[in-house]
Amino acid sequence: MSSEASPMDSSPQGTSSQHYSIMAGVLSYLVPGLGQIVQGRVGKGLLFMVCLLGMFTCGQALGGWQNVYLPDVARGVDQHWENNPWRLPRPFLPLANLYHRWHFAGQFWIGIAAWPAIWQYNKLPVPTEEASPFWHNFERGPHSEAALNEYLINSDKTPDVAWVYTVIAGVLNILVIYDAYAGPAFGAAAPPVVPRPEPQPAGGAP
Amino acid sequence: MILAALLGMSLYWHLPILIVLISLVYSGTRYDAWPAILAEAFRWGLRMAGFLLVIVLALFVLSRMI
Repeated sequence: MSSEASPMDSSPQGTSSQHYSIMAGVLSYLVPGLGQIVQGRVGKGLLFMVCLLGMFTCGQALGGWQNVYLPDVARGVDQHWENNPWRLPRPFLPLANLYHRWHFAGQFWIGIAAWPAIWQYNKLPVPTEEASPFWHNFERGPHSEAALNEYLINSDKTPDVAWVYTVIAGVLNILVIYDAYAGPAFGAAAPPVVPRPEPQPAGGAP
Repeated sequence: MILAALLGMSLYWHLPILIVLISLVYSGTRYDAWPAILAEAFRWGLRMAGFLLVIVLALFVLSRMI
């Protein structure tokens, strides 16, 4: 990486060689910073990885590991559109459920770290509660609304700060994904600069 | 007295942590060179802290007026 302190977009000659990397964007979605690491921007990648996964995990821990989940409360036409304000059909029920837990729309962008919530939403196999209570309930929706309300009422404001951590981490990762997608602007990991041809004078050279 | 009360409420200790992390990550997506990242993070940290300080002062003044 170059030691020059130049803005990414301040170099006009870099625009002609700009190329985008979908793979790096996908990698940075899966694990924050992984796309940058693959591109050779290891320091930045580690910064994103530590900061965002740290924020997300701390947020989960502060919230008692109960604030990352997608509830399964919306129903289709066969159950009279219960909790389904937009009357979305069955394949789109996750979107209807986001209406009841919009936090997950931000948390989702942290990548693999939020996938257990999708696993739990689809009711895929998990360890039994007796075998491992933590993994059984990991990123699972609350057992009941009453239990959730009791937890929130008996807590201080910490659960509110906790979900803010997780949502901010997810939303910031959208910027990180774009940074990986757009690629390095300069330095050893940047694509080679192709100089633009000089425009010829209108009348031609004498 | 007010400062002591604020320091005693651990909830507010999350604020500097969040400001530092958000500033660093945002600046990291804007620049590639470490000096530029750190300088931009510092500027954004100051901006956010200043913005929050204005809100705190406004609320404090309002609480004194009412």
